[in-house]
Amino acid sequence: MQTSLWRSRKVLVWLDERLALTELLEYARHKTVPEHKHSFWYYWGGISMFFFLIQVFTGVLLMVYYRPGAESYESVREITYDIRFGWLIRSAHSWSANLMVLAVFIHMFSVFFMKAYRKPREFGWWSGLALLALTMTFGFSGYLLPMDELAYFATKVGLELPASLPLVGKFINDVVRGGPEVGSVTIQRFFALHVVVLPLIFIPVLAFHLWLVQKHGNALPPSEEQKPIAERRSIPFFPDFFSKDLAMWLVALNVLAILASLYPWQLGPQADPLAPAPAGIHPEWYFMSQFQLLKLFGRWFPGVTGEVLGLVFFTLILLLWAIVPLYDTGTAAGRRAKVATWFGITVLALLIVTTIWGYWEVL
Amino acid sequence: MNYPFWDVPLIGSGWVIGTIAIFHVVISHFAIGGGFYLPIAERKALAEGRADWMEILRNHSRFFLILTGVFGAVSGVGIWFSIGLAHPEATSTLIHNFVFAWAIEWVFFVVELTAAAVYYYTWGKLDSRTHLKVGWVYALSSWMSLVIINGILTFMLTPGERWLSVAGSGNEASAFWSAFFNPTYWPSLFLRTLVMISLAGIFALFTAAAIDGYERPQLKTEIVRWSSRWLVPSFVLMPFFFAWYLFSVPESQRQLLQLGISTIGQGTFTQVTRAALVSVMTSATIVAIVYFVAYKQARSFSRGWAWTILLLAVAATAATEQAREMLRKPYVIGNHMYSNGIRTSEVASFNEAGYLTNSIWLREDERRSLQDGGSRLAAGELIFRGQCASCHTRDGYRSMRRLLQGRNRQAIENLLGVLHRSEANSTYRFMPPLVGSKQEIEALADYLENMVTEPVRTAGL
Repeated sequence: MQTSLWRSRKVLVWLDERLALTELLEYARHKTVPEHKHSFWYYWGGISMFFFLIQVFTGVLLMVYYRPGAESYESVREITYDIRFGWLIRSAHSWSANLMVLAVFIHMFSVFFMKAYRKPREFGWWSGLALLALTMTFGFSGYLLPMDELAYFATKVGLELPASLPLVGKFINDVVRGGPEVGSVTIQRFFALHVVVLPLIFIPVLAFHLWLVQKHGNALPPSEEQKPIAERRSIPFFPDFFSKDLAMWLVALNVLAILASLYPWQLGPQADPLAPAPAGIHPEWYFMSQFQLLKLFGRWFPGVTGEVLGLVFFTLILLLWAIVPLYDTGTAAGRRAKVATWFGITVLALLIVTTIWGYWEVL
Repeated sequence: MNYPFWDVPLIGSGWVIGTIAIFHVVISHFAIGGGFYLPIAERKALAEGRADWMEILRNHSRFFLILTGVFGAVSGVGIWFSIGLAHPEATSTLIHNFVFAWAIEWVFFVVELTAAAVYYYTWGKLDSRTHLKVGWVYALSSWMSLVIINGILTFMLTPGERWLSVAGSGNEASAFWSAFFNPTYWPSLFLRTLVMISLAGIFALFTAAAIDGYERPQLKTEIVRWSSRWLVPSFVLMPFFFAWYLFSVPESQRQLLQLGISTIGQGTFTQVTRAALVSVMTSATIVAIVYFVAYKQARSFSRGWAWTILLLAVAATAATEQAREMLRKPYVIGNHMYSNGIRTSEVASFNEAGYLTNSIWLREDERRSLQDGGSRLAAGELIFRGQCASCHTRDGYRSMRRLLQGRNRQAIENLLGVLHRSEANSTYRFMPPLVGSKQEIEALADYLENMVTEPVRTAGL
């Protein structure tokens, strides 16, 4: 027993001399995380990353059996019904994708309302927005891969969004589809995008984002910032916050396991491009707001004007959302701070209302 | 003909009961476990002369009184309403057999509610010994209400051979005690008592989280850690009592669990196994989080974490209760009544003379219309409501349209044939047998075929 302990200590010392583990541990012990009544929102970045790791793990397992192209539906059918535990891996992949999008949205809004985009965290905000856009593209490209009826028609509907862009819309659509219609070439393109191109962009952006979080630490919400330094509270990152973060990952894993096992992801009938689209077809929930907004503008302003106005409106909001750190630079009580908060509330309300409205119309 | 087949779209009547029951079970178990927590904690505080503990306990008793006295009581009545609507036959059987037991439970219930109110309103007004005695009156009377209701709940899974031998004879009262102290009575009583002790700790953590850990670090640490320890009995003993419970369940029901475990890989494992696994997973997570986040970091334990633990406890309770309910399938009262209200003793006569002919719930004009060769679709719908709708909905939970998607008329008839023959080795063994004459089953096939071929609007998610 003593010999084995001595050996493991020797291994640790050997590693420490080469990797400076003690230094790292000391750093982690000295690093602190603010503690206040809004601390709950600090966990959402970690939860988003946890679901991303699940995506990578289950995605690699699915790749072992998935065959992009003409056989894609058959291979997903085999994964779901023939291969042992295939249904669970696929279900976990699909559910964690949705949970990841949800977690990233919650993370973004919590950062917004805690004003964690202010100096010096502007690049954290922008890299976060890039990660959200990439996450949504992951979702969109992955949704087509089973090539069942829903995936096929929802992708067709989803591609109407870039198609409505003036000048470049048609070009983008042709490149993405690989032809005039969604087909097996599209699946191969989406697959390449999903498993190679997007991860190649996502991982460096994520590393940059995490480095910034590490560099600047967790931001204090305005209500805490106003307190004198002596009254501010914090806990050590290691082991206190670290163990809580892991506990939150465990909770996230529970949520995922409950959804994936009790509500396994379904596979619909094989897509038939010649068949009429089923009633009520629509894109995934995280594109519903944009989809509904474009529909509404098209309805209010018939013809091309509606589409263009819808896109202008949408682009304007996105632009304002992105440049908020350059506008709201002042103190908590400043006028610009209030304007930014109201802008955030409006955007959140718009997202929720148009999403519900969209589902109300199609279901 | 809607009543007695309560048609709840999308979620089905089962989930109406389920939602109310999960809410009620969490609160009612806390009502008993918390009933022990309060006098035991008060006794400790008195012995150690801790006025700061008394102040926290007083706050906790107010939270306790409101939660259990209002929400616990109201949701209990809600269960009565919902089971009466969803399962009138089963509810009637329970009332006819256990009306005396319920009367006793209500006596304890009245004592319990009164003692809870007296306990809270007499903090600082009664001398400490008398106040503590009121707390013990509450604890014991609330636990007695469990002792009674546990007999009725476990009866539904395992009514016992003696009661089954007299069921339907009019002489059921002679088997009251054996029905009450049925094969799963004792393991269930111990299991539920363990759950109550755990929930007492979890809800106490909720109150303790509100203590400012920076202003009163010692008090918060002590209370959080002391409350965390209430989860230890469950952690240690639950696996043993659970095994005892499982071995008290009839072999045929246990096979549902085994069938589920053996088919996990193929993804066809049963709902009961899924729910049981979720129950084990969430319970283990609760213990891990209570240890690492509450016990080890008591001073900074926050309300957010208390909520997280509580929500996990709700998930664990929901999964456990669902597993228990599913373990009973295809019965609502083991070996006596199927989950669609048809008694095992009625199957032969319903097959011979027809289900609708025998149904006491059919209006006379409906019966005459069917006998005169009325619409087969209408007859099919009546059979669907009577025999399928207690578990299935058209488009929502266990959607018939989704389950039958892609099946043609022949495939639907084949499926109904399997359900009608009710073969023991069938994968549908958790479903009641389909009863009725040949014409009625054809009418049901007509109705289901029509349902499947109607255009479906499918959501993306």
